[in-house]
Amino acid sequence: MNLDIRAGEFLAIVGGNGSGKTTLAKLFNGLLRPTAGTVTVGGRPASGRTVAQLARIVGYAFQNPDHQLFCSSVEEEIGFGPRNLGCTDAEVASRVEHAIEAMDLNHLRKQPPLSLRLGDRRRVSIASVIAMSPRVLILDEPTTGLDAAETKDLMAHICKLNREGSTIVLITHDMKLVAEYAARVVVVAQGRILLDSDPRGAFSDPEILRQSNLEPPPVTLLAHRLSAHGIPKDVVSPQELVLRILMERGAGR
Amino acid sequence: MTGFVDLYTEGDTFLHRMDPRVKIVAVLFISVLGFILQNLTSLLILLVLIFLLLFLARASFSRTMFALKFVLRFMILIIVLWPMFDPSGLPVLATLGPVKITEPAIWRGVTSAVRVGCLATVWYILMFTTSQRDLVRALVKLGLRFDFGLTIAISLRFLPTFSALYDSIKDAQKARGLELERGSVLRRGKSYLAVLVPTVVSALRTADTLSLALQSRAYGASSKRTYLRELRMRRSDGVALGVVVAILVVPALARLVFQVPI
Amino acid sequence: MKALSMRDVRFKYLGSERWALDGISIDVEKGEFVTVLGSNGSGKSTLCMLANGLIPHAIKGQLEGKVEVFGEDVLMRSVAELSTRVGIVFQEPESQLFCMSVEEEIAFGPENLSVPREEIRERVEWALELVGMKGYNDRAPSSLSGGQKQRVAIAAALSMRPAMLVLDEPAYALDPVGRMELYSVLRNLKRKHGMTVILAERDPEEAIEFSDRLVLMKEGRVVGAGNPRAIMRSPDRLSSIGVSAPQLAEVAALLSKSLRDCDFSFISVDEAEDEIVRSVLSGSGGGRH
Repeated sequence: MNLDIRAGEFLAIVGGNGSGKTTLAKLFNGLLRPTAGTVTVGGRPASGRTVAQLARIVGYAFQNPDHQLFCSSVEEEIGFGPRNLGCTDAEVASRVEHAIEAMDLNHLRKQPPLSLRLGDRRRVSIASVIAMSPRVLILDEPTTGLDAAETKDLMAHICKLNREGSTIVLITHDMKLVAEYAARVVVVAQGRILLDSDPRGAFSDPEILRQSNLEPPPVTLLAHRLSAHGIPKDVVSPQELVLRILMERGAGR
Repeated sequence: MTGFVDLYTEGDTFLHRMDPRVKIVAVLFISVLGFILQNLTSLLILLVLIFLLLFLARASFSRTMFALKFVLRFMILIIVLWPMFDPSGLPVLATLGPVKITEPAIWRGVTSAVRVGCLATVWYILMFTTSQRDLVRALVKLGLRFDFGLTIAISLRFLPTFSALYDSIKDAQKARGLELERGSVLRRGKSYLAVLVPTVVSALRTADTLSLALQSRAYGASSKRTYLRELRMRRSDGVALGVVVAILVVPALARLVFQVPI
Repeated sequence: MKALSMRDVRFKYLGSERWALDGISIDVEKGEFVTVLGSNGSGKSTLCMLANGLIPHAIKGQLEGKVEVFGEDVLMRSVAELSTRVGIVFQEPESQLFCMSVEEEIAFGPENLSVPREEIRERVEWALELVGMKGYNDRAPSSLSGGQKQRVAIAAALSMRPAMLVLDEPAYALDPVGRMELYSVLRNLKRKHGMTVILAERDPEEAIEFSDRLVLMKEGRVVGAGNPRAIMRSPDRLSSIGVSAPQLAEVAALLSKSLRDCDFSFISVDEAEDEIVRSVLSGSGGGRH
């Protein structure tokens, strides 16, 4: 596999279960080491550094927040990462504040993380990774289990982080999410990269997605079916599809 | 972690096909025999017979040695340490300070080691030729309460799951900068909390759903239960059982009643 | 006799301050496929667990109102007794399969009910066939994919021969292929076997195609119900309960708004294609209901 990720990108790595997308992501922060080839993080090879050292640059929020939460308060939980990095008390406090603000957790700061609802637990887990001030943030299926409102909310926070300069790597099999938020899509199947382009390019050929057990969003499938009538195949949102249909209708009259 | 419990390899040897109850009884009897026999020669003969069974079960020698490597180390340890703690008998071969190495003691050490080897190998054969499912079913058929059998079965079933969970949580915390190998004992203890708490919490959550699932499938509905797969003794199993009983009873009588020095 | 009947039901979990269900009255007819939609905390899981008696027998709390399953009050029957009428499938595939082989898992329920061995064997084969997993008898659950695990869970519930199946967000942990496999089993159950099904979901995208009725829940109350087409006409009803509207519904609503003399409502891609081609792109102008 060959892959370059530039600073500030908002990238989605997509694939079905067993495609290798999680394996790929774990190579980014040293949880897994390559059998062959090199992984370079921040300009230097990853091979000489431990996971803890790489965690300063690459943060990884796991899919199940319950695999990371264990403290008695949200504040303490978020402070866990910075403490491990050896920050002074003052630094820890300031990073915790920043993360709490970034993920809007002020009203929950004294609560035990494990007692919160799933959406809030996810935000705490992500906040605890942000507090380590990584330049790259890997999010593994962050919207599983969240309803529409919570998803919108969470992704708004993530987009804000991206605007402020963080590189975001989203690992998911939710193509609707990818269509709406990602600027770049890497499709993985059986340990290989099948496609690396923007969402439009990724959706223009459903066969490639199917090789990885994925389906394009329903709206894109519909666009494909209507392509004989002049609708482009790379439509990614309902609004766009309707616009195109109306344009064709207008042109047909 | 799970390789230690799940040694079963599919196969079609007579040992694989034997009724698991007979196998359990056989292994128990052979273990008892291992303790009754005192003579090194008798034990070596037993060991050879057990290896013959291993061969008949088509177990690969190298894999067996690998699985039993702890046992092998333990056997070597016994042979080395026994004479140091057993100074009785003659002739004395060496004296190192307070420690007296005598020849009979060395042989006693070797005998003990061979005994351990016999026991470990015969239990290995049981695990190798019997699936966990059959083992539990045999135990229940032999009289273990179904509840206990189910508990054992569920524990075995979730062992790999929780093992993977533990590894996953370790990874997740490592990604937050946790270093489990560094620091004082106290610091490391606290570090392990970061892995243990989520593991226990997840396990408890699983247990909770599991309990709901069990109830939804009428677990405990009645004390009378039917079983889809029945264990039925065939003639070959009866013959095997007879052989096993003879293998224990004859030497046991010889040794304990007729004082034959085997 | 209705499959499920709830009258003014309120339920509060032990130790909780809010009512998980706050006055629900709902009926499900025999053979109906009802999809209950709601966001997290809307009470749909609670509703599921009431249907087979886990609430109040296994899960403690304060229950008010009446819940009847096929004419029997759930308070009067144990979970074991109700299990022959109602089967349940939970959202986590891993924690509801506890046996060492698929066959054992499916046989577990009937075994507990002292069903004769021959009949258990028949039921196991029947259930495996229904979920499309014939031949998987000796496989270990841990070797299966998420979608396969959930199908085994469905088979394990079906082998008890319930008249109603309740599924609480069964597609939660599944990838797109797993979801597809799961929903095709549900579609089959509906079309070929006329089983009464209650499906609790956060994402209606697939289920609207074969649901007879959608029930919308918010904060422990039923805030709407109707057939999928009627609900899909106003996708903002879904957004108001925190559920994402299916993209097809959004397309239909936007088209209907723009072409004022049309009233579109698609519940599948096929239907959408037909409708749009016929009514919009071929220039015939009029839309169909």
